[in-house]
Amino acid sequence: MAILLAIDTSAGTSVALFKNELLVCEKNFESNMKHAESIGAAIHAVLAEAGVRGSEVQRVVVGRGPAPFTGLRVGIGAAVMFTEAAKARLSGVVSLDAIALSAFAAGLVASETVPLLVTTDARRGEVYWALYSGLGKTGAPERIEGPQVLKPAALDELLAARGIHPVTTSQAVSAAAIGELAIALDRAGQLEADVTALYLRAPDAVEPKSPTQFAKKVSS
Amino acid sequence: MSKAWAIRIATESDLEAIMAIERDCFITDAWPQDSMYEELVGAERYYIVAYENETIIGYAGLAKNPVAGQGDIQTIAVAVEHRGRGLGRDLMNALLTEAKRAGLRQVFLEVRADNDSAQSLYRSLGFEQIRIRPRYYQPDDVDAVEMLLNIDGAVSEPLVLGIESSCDETGVGIVRGNTLLANVISSSMEAHARFGGVVPEVAARAHLEALKPTLNEALAIAKVSLDEIDAIAVTNGPGLAGALMVGVGAAKALAVALDKPIYAVNHLVGHVGVDILERGELETPTIALLVSGGHTSLLMVRDLLDDVELLGETIDDAAGEAFDKVARILGLRYPGGPEIDRAAEGGNPQAIRFPRGLTQSKDMEKHRYDFSFSGLKTAVARWVEVAEGGAQAGRATAQAAAIEYSKADVAASFREAVADVLVTKAVNACNDHGVKRLLLGGGVVANRRLRELAAEKCAEHGIELRIPALSLCTDNGAMIAALGAQLIKDGRAPSSLDFGADSTLPVTTVQTL
Repeated sequence: MAILLAIDTSAGTSVALFKNELLVCEKNFESNMKHAESIGAAIHAVLAEAGVRGSEVQRVVVGRGPAPFTGLRVGIGAAVMFTEAAKARLSGVVSLDAIALSAFAAGLVASETVPLLVTTDARRGEVYWALYSGLGKTGAPERIEGPQVLKPAALDELLAARGIHPVTTSQAVSAAAIGELAIALDRAGQLEADVTALYLRAPDAVEPKSPTQFAKKVSS
Repeated sequence: MSKAWAIRIATESDLEAIMAIERDCFITDAWPQDSMYEELVGAERYYIVAYENETIIGYAGLAKNPVAGQGDIQTIAVAVEHRGRGLGRDLMNALLTEAKRAGLRQVFLEVRADNDSAQSLYRSLGFEQIRIRPRYYQPDDVDAVEMLLNIDGAVSEPLVLGIESSCDETGVGIVRGNTLLANVISSSMEAHARFGGVVPEVAARAHLEALKPTLNEALAIAKVSLDEIDAIAVTNGPGLAGALMVGVGAAKALAVALDKPIYAVNHLVGHVGVDILERGELETPTIALLVSGGHTSLLMVRDLLDDVELLGETIDDAAGEAFDKVARILGLRYPGGPEIDRAAEGGNPQAIRFPRGLTQSKDMEKHRYDFSFSGLKTAVARWVEVAEGGAQAGRATAQAAAIEYSKADVAASFREAVADVLVTKAVNACNDHGVKRLLLGGGVVANRRLRELAAEKCAEHGIELRIPALSLCTDNGAMIAALGAQLIKDGRAPSSLDFGADSTLPVTTVQTL
């Protein structure tokens, strides 16, 4: 029985468990500040509810963002270490793709000309965004642009200049959708092992210009 | 999630609750209810249950043969939803305590060959495999591993994996009790060089990348597999929040995946406890001076696990930070400590009298054990500026042609000022408290002059000085594992899964429950 653990910490902390490609349970902690607090309890909760031991998990999939860095890292770090302990197979997916999948699964229709625009909060007055033309043959969303990070006004301008009037979604990312996406991609042989965090921004530090000026330290 | 259970002797009235867990845990080979009843009421049987909120959550039984001096672990089970909290270990320890009390010298058990986590628990308690019984468990057709514990007063030593990520070093250490098995450190120092100091976001990104290789290298060096680890320990503060969170999330995932307890421990107390790995124990009371790029703290340690007091700390820059900043002023590279050591070679430490922060009598009243290095850094910057001929705006004239000054003298004098104030205050603390022991920790301990001066002054005042190996002084996972092992050996409950990273965790919180 193939057991898959899905993790995403792009927004809150979301963990889901699948058996034989079917969702068994999902645990969500909504706080976008308490990922380190929530991740252990969330994983423990889905394992307990499904009656599964950690060592029985064969596949781990994690959302790579893009998302605010601090929380995103907690989920990826946990996925990496869980995989080592369970001797499982690790994969990564783009979190925005999972949101698109949820939107399409909920009946939303998009096309090349009227694409789906997925946006999430990137903090500092910016949004992460990507455009999708619909579900592909694999059952995974077809991303036609992004993920990128922009100020909302700049994004509006960019889309308007190109005459794109997208449909939008307000769905939040869920680990269940991360798992569904991984299953669809895996069937198509397109699931990737890369779990590199999608930061889309360089570390916010300024190189000092003079010997008496010191590095400014800002974290996300 | 915190441990709130208690253990008591089982009675007949527990039969139903025990059977419910039995059937859940041993799906194909549960004992029949009447067999269990016979066990509960049988002669020379010792059955216990663990309960939480009046619900039975686990049980275990021992059969005793006092004449032969032998015993058998008959059964042990923990309700599925309560695994990973250390209850199995508690139940086993309760049975072994009874075995010792009853004067048994050997305790046997059988365990399924495919139950790795149970086997590693038993091994961690001192059991050793004596033989395989082929196809012992039916109908599953699984071999049994027979294990034996010889009771001769020997205490089992927990195998603990520690994770450290509070600043720019990703550390994974593995210890067995007081014995160091592996100490692997991956540093992101190079990545910070162009910024002249640790950039939290750069450090946090590096931790995420370093987790897996650092873990696997430590396991390879210790020659253990993750399945054998008895517990995970992790730094949950103080330190850089974003960096700490990477380690905390990683450690929790390991603990949950392995179904092992987790201990959230204090980084600074870890620096103190590391001495155990070299000496087998920490002699207390001791004053501890911890000096790094992130901390400058003076501690009074009466008991490692229960009584650590912060006497003082820096009110601005950490000592290591001052080295980095002054290195930049002198056109040296990052990190500043070793560069300044090199530059100071042959310099006169008395050439320039740089200020010693918080040593004036008015400061000594309020800040006797506190440090300040910001003024010192500024003083060095000003001195260099003046020496270079006042290159400030508007004065870029002929006089701006640099006046020759000895970089070696500046470096040596600055270093002397830092070492002097650190050692003087630490020695004061020893003398004031009548504690004739001083332990140094933190990366700045690598500084040669600091070590020299500490040795000199301690000898002068009859203070015993301890300086652990440098690989244990810098931030590392071994010290975190060692502190975790001390907590386990002292019978402390594991932390819950709910703790967070606390960038300002006080030293009084040795373990976050």
